[in-house]
Amino acid sequence: MTLSTMLASMGEGMLRTCAIFFLTLIFSMPLGMIVMFLRRSRFRIVREITKIYIAIMRGTPLMLQLLAWYFGPYYLFGMSIRGYRFPAIIIGFAMNYAAYFAEIYRGGIEAIPQGQYEAAEVLGYNSVQTFFKIILPQVIKTILPSVTNEVITLVKDTSLAFTLAYNEMFSLAKQIAASQTSFMPFVIAGIFYFIANYVVAFVMERIEKHYDYYK
Amino acid sequence: MILQMNGIKKSFGSNEVLKDISLQVDSGEVVSIIGPSGSGKSTLLRCATFLETIDSGEIIYMDKQAVTTGTNGQAVYVGKNELAQVKRYFGLVFQQFNLFPHYSVLKNIMDAPIHVQKRLKEEVHQEAMELLRKMDLEARADAYPCQLSGGQQQRVAIARALALKPEILFFDEPTSALDPELTGEVLKVIRQLAEEKMTMVVVTHEMPFARAVSNRVIFMDKGFIVEQGDPEEVFGNPQQERTKQFLKNYQR
Amino acid sequence: MKKLFALSLAAVMALSVLAGCGGKSDSGSTAATTEAAASDAAYVFLDESLGVESYAIGFRVGDEELAQTVSGAVQALVLNGTYDEIGEKYPDIKDYLCLKAEDIDEASLPAEGSGDSSYTFKHGFDLDYPPYSYLQDDGSVGGFDVELCQAVCEYLGWGYEAVPFNWDAKDMELNAGSCDCIWSGFTKEGREDDYTWGITYSNNTQGIMVAADSGIKSLADLAGKSVGVQTATSAYDMLEDSQKELADTFSELKVYETYTVAFNDLKAGAIDAIAIDMTAGAFLIANDAK
Repeated sequence: MTLSTMLASMGEGMLRTCAIFFLTLIFSMPLGMIVMFLRRSRFRIVREITKIYIAIMRGTPLMLQLLAWYFGPYYLFGMSIRGYRFPAIIIGFAMNYAAYFAEIYRGGIEAIPQGQYEAAEVLGYNSVQTFFKIILPQVIKTILPSVTNEVITLVKDTSLAFTLAYNEMFSLAKQIAASQTSFMPFVIAGIFYFIANYVVAFVMERIEKHYDYYK
Repeated sequence: MILQMNGIKKSFGSNEVLKDISLQVDSGEVVSIIGPSGSGKSTLLRCATFLETIDSGEIIYMDKQAVTTGTNGQAVYVGKNELAQVKRYFGLVFQQFNLFPHYSVLKNIMDAPIHVQKRLKEEVHQEAMELLRKMDLEARADAYPCQLSGGQQQRVAIARALALKPEILFFDEPTSALDPELTGEVLKVIRQLAEEKMTMVVVTHEMPFARAVSNRVIFMDKGFIVEQGDPEEVFGNPQQERTKQFLKNYQR
Repeated sequence: MKKLFALSLAAVMALSVLAGCGGKSDSGSTAATTEAAASDAAYVFLDESLGVESYAIGFRVGDEELAQTVSGAVQALVLNGTYDEIGEKYPDIKDYLCLKAEDIDEASLPAEGSGDSSYTFKHGFDLDYPPYSYLQDDGSVGGFDVELCQAVCEYLGWGYEAVPFNWDAKDMELNAGSCDCIWSGFTKEGREDDYTWGITYSNNTQGIMVAADSGIKSLADLAGKSVGVQTATSAYDMLEDSQKELADTFSELKVYETYTVAFNDLKAGAIDAIAIDMTAGAFLIANDAK
């Protein structure tokens, strides 16, 4: 296998890796917001259920969760799972990362001084305005470093999609390594992850800078 | 009459913080509330501004009854929309300023008038600049709170409260978080407002200031109003033993 | 898009090769198996083996009819020569193909084109298992099992769908219906009751691979040596079960996720031997000799 064929086949895997990465972020970040609200609900039962959800998502390997999301519908309800492979991967990743993001958001929100809420209340802001205009922008600034960590972990976690036989970049690397008895695919994979994370760190740093105008 | 509070009672758990407080503030009046820490004066202010809910009693702003006492003796608040109307009558300046750190000075002042009161941006901008001039902060309009001194931040907070054109302005220990050399600039602003006949209730530890600026001084201790009256009377010739003791401690 | 990717990555790779971490992959290699291990190969198998196993097609328990049809088609392909033709392409396993035309009774076999043309047969396999199923040099899916299965579908008139799966999840994939069979150098021994088995089309011998100059000549010589094996393989199962006594003489049984890594450890001298089936081992040796 020539280097260019190797890169071409891995390139396709890289696109799939990117698809998992971006779709997971697009779904898990807002979902994490909802989970965070449920976690802070004034109804005890909702809080407790959300806590259990977060505990499961954070306390079990993502690999098992992916298996459960994909095969669950068949084993529990006898449903056909044809064509469900990719959606299951995205659901699995998004649900898992939403739990982590929810806890990051919660930490950020709890770090906002009570005085900010009181000032907003006295000035007459309603609760929606208070959240989106006053609290959220400050939360974003506080949580950016933790979010960066999580996003970098996600880049590397995408390789777990192979659990559901989705040929993303790293599974292709393993397959090519096996058929060619070569470590080269792993070197390429390593460089890919490094570059991807470098880009992530760069982008996040720019965003952090954007919020640097106040302390 | 701007504010009337009758028979206010408030407990935190088993700790009774306000024990049957009644208070009336008339238009143009400047009322200082003094007293040792834990006397309930800050809680009284927080109850008046609805940051805390009272257990029983009534609160009336202008002609609007915000809180009544139900048949069972419990306080009953009016509905959300009516309460929002009442909230327009007052402003509050916090001990810790509580400016929005991500907004510039100008935006801190303009945002609520535009988005809460739905007033025109141009008009609000003009008024905000006017207020900043008054606070002697015109040059810092585009600065962020973190770039300002504590005294400057508190003056912005006052401008922010005034921008909503309240009938009455509450101050909760407005100089307690400031370095001593910065308290003067904030007190000067409050004094200026008093001259303009702004109705104000000030919880403070600044005795000379309370004596010089207010029309009436209220001394609170252990959840009661112990003594109130003309500042010269209260400071110069206190009637109650507790007041004498407190003022004596303060003069040392 | 693909080209763009390849180009930009090639640039990065060139840098990394200069930096001294390059592999040997741009040698423009031809078919992996054309040059079988010569007598002067650097790695050899011991004469003694660990045991023999048979590779068969695994179906869901109860899928008797499907198993019979597919097995019949495989036999028909033996008779018309396709089976051997495909075998020619994979010299490493040619000697292990156990179906012979003279043993087959033609009468019971399904006729060519007798299958339902609207049916698509879903072939479940591991893409990590050369030479039975693996990624070809041109990046396509191939291997002996893949080609044979495609030939079966063509013979019967069925559609063919490749379902490469994660080996650890093979049973879930099969039971959930994502695939109709497991056909990927799949060992029957020890799993007799877990599947409805189709025909055994290949044998394999589990052996011990060592460096030719290692001085290890017999299983007894392995005492005190470090031996590597891939997890979830027959070689591993044997060392845990029927050959447990032998395994106990090793200084260490090192379990790898893939043989690729184990083989690199052997080359680096980090381990002394690898327990592996002969065909997969021959594939590693042949590829290394290039």
